[in-house]
Amino acid sequence: MTSMWFERSDSGSPKAEAAPTPEDLVAAAARGDEQAFAELYDLTSSRVYGMVLRVVRDPAQAAEVTQDIYLEVWRQSARFDPGKGGVLPWLLMIAHRRAVDRVRSAQSSMVRDDKYALLNTERPFDSVSEQVQTSLEAQRVRRVLEDLTPAQREAVTLAYFGGYTHTEVATLLKVPLGTVKTRIRDGLIRMRDALGVTA
Amino acid sequence: MTDDLNVLAGAYALDALDDDERAVFEEHLAGCQECTEEVRGLRNTAAEFSQLSQAGPPPELRAAVLGAVSKTRPLPPLIAGARVLPLRRSRTVALWQGLAAACALVAVVVSAWGLAQHREAQRATNARASVVQSLLAAPDVRATTTALKQGQGTLLSSRSEHRLVLIARGIPVLPTDETYQLWLMSESGAPVSGGVFRPDEHGNVELPASGNLDGVDRMGVSVEPAGGSAQPTLSTVQVIKL
Repeated sequence: MTSMWFERSDSGSPKAEAAPTPEDLVAAAARGDEQAFAELYDLTSSRVYGMVLRVVRDPAQAAEVTQDIYLEVWRQSARFDPGKGGVLPWLLMIAHRRAVDRVRSAQSSMVRDDKYALLNTERPFDSVSEQVQTSLEAQRVRRVLEDLTPAQREAVTLAYFGGYTHTEVATLLKVPLGTVKTRIRDGLIRMRDALGVTA
Repeated sequence: MTDDLNVLAGAYALDALDDDERAVFEEHLAGCQECTEEVRGLRNTAAEFSQLSQAGPPPELRAAVLGAVSKTRPLPPLIAGARVLPLRRSRTVALWQGLAAACALVAVVVSAWGLAQHREAQRATNARASVVQSLLAAPDVRATTTALKQGQGTLLSSRSEHRLVLIARGIPVLPTDETYQLWLMSESGAPVSGGVFRPDEHGNVELPASGNLDGVDRMGVSVEPAGGSAQPTLSTVQVIKL
């Protein structure tokens, strides 16, 4: 996997040098640098694959969807606009949309067993915590999620990790759609402010 | 900003809207700076959730991804401020033909009111019908129909009211990570976005847009990544003359 247009000099250099950022790697990938893309994969694949696995559940399907995602990111790399935010949110946006598309198209060909779905999504947040990550960042996100009201937490996690539409979330929780819309938006805004995330 | 739609920003950021709701919201997003910024912040927040679900992919996936990548050409970059050239000659039809088409549409839309199952869809339909009706009442309304590569588009426009509606038929449905985008184009200056849109499952489009039409002599329709672009992707642009 050698670069087509230039040699990467950092392969043998001491670790003290600043590592390339995901933004650098995407810019290099846009010029056809497969080595840079491999580095981007190494840097981000556990975030992407782990999220996709949570949404689709089946490891074989998760791997398939993850491969599609990275191929799409490679194709779109020249169109990534740093003015609109970082690489990671961009990549995860593509990834989440694909994961959700997968479960929704599977659902349309095979009606989901409600009992099974409820059994498995009743406590989406707690099952996330079983795989608790030790990274400081992950701990911070967890604390912020814990600070939401239980109703907000349930709505956002069913939407994000459950891959449900807000209408489905409302049905699962037996509350009006308007209530779910508000819970999701208010919950996310609270998390955004607590995490200090910028637009 | 429409409060009704603004409340959807959270569900949109979590991909929790169905296709129709998403199309309506993206239409709104293209003209609402406030919502665009909110969506960006909420999407960045949503990305943080993936901190909680990290899991290493199967080792063989790396080789599979990189193998596929080496056989795939990345798309070219979008060129900022580029001139967009007409791909096909457009044909202006007699005004009454356009009016007839638009009136037929209004009739369909209006009769669809009673059948609409969902309040949200009904509200959007309602708004569209009244947009077309009020535009038809403008003294300087013009109708232009152009054959596109696939399907055809009719533009109703009024320069005095700074408004237009794109009505298109037979437009191919795009994958979910892509969207159509309308552009207002003039001889001088870069194309200005007129909003993003997706056809319904029958390939039909009704897109109301507003903006200063002074100097605008053509509209472009391009294919862009979901959410739209700052500049049109040249290779995909098709032009409709005003």
